[in-house]
Amino acid sequence: MNILTDTLAWLTDPSHWTGPAGIPTRLGEHLALSGVSMAVAIALAIPIGIYIGHTGRYARLVVNSANLWRALPSLALIGIVLPFTSAMDPQLGFKVYPTLVAMVVLAVPPVLVNTQAGIAGVDRDLVEAARAMGMRERQVVRQVELPLALPALDSGIRSGAVQVVATATLGAIFGSGGLGRYLVEGVAQQDDGMTFGGVVLVAALALSVEAGFVLLQRGMKK
Amino acid sequence: MRSFRKLALGASVLVLALSACSTGGSGTTIKIGSDDFDEAKVVAEIYAQALEAKGFTVDRAGIGLGARAVTAAALESAKIDLKPEYLGGGLQHYGGTPDRQPDTNRDLLQGKLNAVGGGITVLNYAPAQDSNAFVIRKDTADQYHLAKMSDMAPVQNQIKWGLATDCPTNALCAKALKDEYGLEPTNVTYLGACSGPMADALLKKTVDVAELCSTGPEIKTNGWVILEDDKQTQPAENIVPIVRNDLLAKIDQAKFKDALNAVSAKIDTATLAQLYYDVAVGHKDLKDVASAWLKSAGLVS
Repeated sequence: MNILTDTLAWLTDPSHWTGPAGIPTRLGEHLALSGVSMAVAIALAIPIGIYIGHTGRYARLVVNSANLWRALPSLALIGIVLPFTSAMDPQLGFKVYPTLVAMVVLAVPPVLVNTQAGIAGVDRDLVEAARAMGMRERQVVRQVELPLALPALDSGIRSGAVQVVATATLGAIFGSGGLGRYLVEGVAQQDDGMTFGGVVLVAALALSVEAGFVLLQRGMKK
Repeated sequence: MRSFRKLALGASVLVLALSACSTGGSGTTIKIGSDDFDEAKVVAEIYAQALEAKGFTVDRAGIGLGARAVTAAALESAKIDLKPEYLGGGLQHYGGTPDRQPDTNRDLLQGKLNAVGGGITVLNYAPAQDSNAFVIRKDTADQYHLAKMSDMAPVQNQIKWGLATDCPTNALCAKALKDEYGLEPTNVTYLGACSGPMADALLKKTVDVAELCSTGPEIKTNGWVILEDDKQTQPAENIVPIVRNDLLAKIDQAKFKDALNAVSAKIDTATLAQLYYDVAVGHKDLKDVASAWLKSAGLVS
């Protein structure tokens, strides 16, 4: 009962909703970190996914390597990348870039694998028909394969986004902002309300992201 | 047949009773815990091995449990029975006002601990001290002419601070900084106390002043400067084993206390710093560092 009441009290305390350490600020930091990570991951994974899905070349190799990436523990990655990025920039290179890199590595596999599967899964008859109509390869991709593969792409992005939102909390160990700060500081200060308030916020955010993408996917299917 | 059954029952009860009355605490497992920085962990491991050498059974799952608030709660609720503590910081945690004198702190701490968790005993403290230290790089010291904490107030918002994640609620940190030195810096990065990321941040110039432990090996390695605590906000911080009374009641107390007091007598500040260095910088295994030291100190064969 104590933890529940502490958490509720913490979440409803108006002072926790203002200021540089307030919930809106942390939420914004968290979304920014997650959003940029996803943007980078998408920019990397979708073109590759389309290429290997459309041509079939290296598909198995790339998909297997991507699945290996999933096994890399994010915290270890942050530690490995940190010396290099902080040499570039002592502030962002310490607090932001290592976590960013780890989140991109986390998000690429689902986006890549789903894009490849979505493109490759388009009915081959349709693709052949398009070619027969005189479409160039690029037009086939843009006008036939991509629209039909959109639900799969959305599914991959959704999967990646939810993982990233949940895992971006790790950055707090290295001083980055975001909701993870409530977890780290709450534990250090033995403030159950803060810790579990942070847990509730992260979970709520992850669920909202999931829900948002599900709605998007439904909209696409129509 | 009936008498045979009675005999068998009687025999098994006797066997059970005998095995429960074992001596030397071999029936009781001592749960050892520690805070989650390398120095506390290696000292806890030393306690563990010293006790095992005397025939005690030890459970190490609590080593590296978390910050002091976490391990203190674990000790009070009997999740762990024994942990290394620092006289000043420990006393402060329980609401006491620490002194520069270790004996005073020891008595005050024992007073506080009599009233928690069903009673906790403070054993002999080691000569070694490890206190909260605010550390800067040599180039920062030269640039702003900083040697002691009182020098910091005029430049506090021009430099970047690295403070422990429990600083806001830790009287040895936020309160001491504000009340004694007028420090309430605005540019602060919060990282784990005495941790790898904290030292890294100072090294990579992400922060200019970092809150580290005074025996921290990275201070020597990098030629960093410990800002002198001229207003004496940091109290005597000798390292000492503290143990639950209910555990003491279940084991051979004399043997237990002798084992740990013998260990404490041999840990001086230089030793503590060296142990910390071997684990944190030398990246040697906790267990190896502990056992090598115990052998060289003649505490185990």
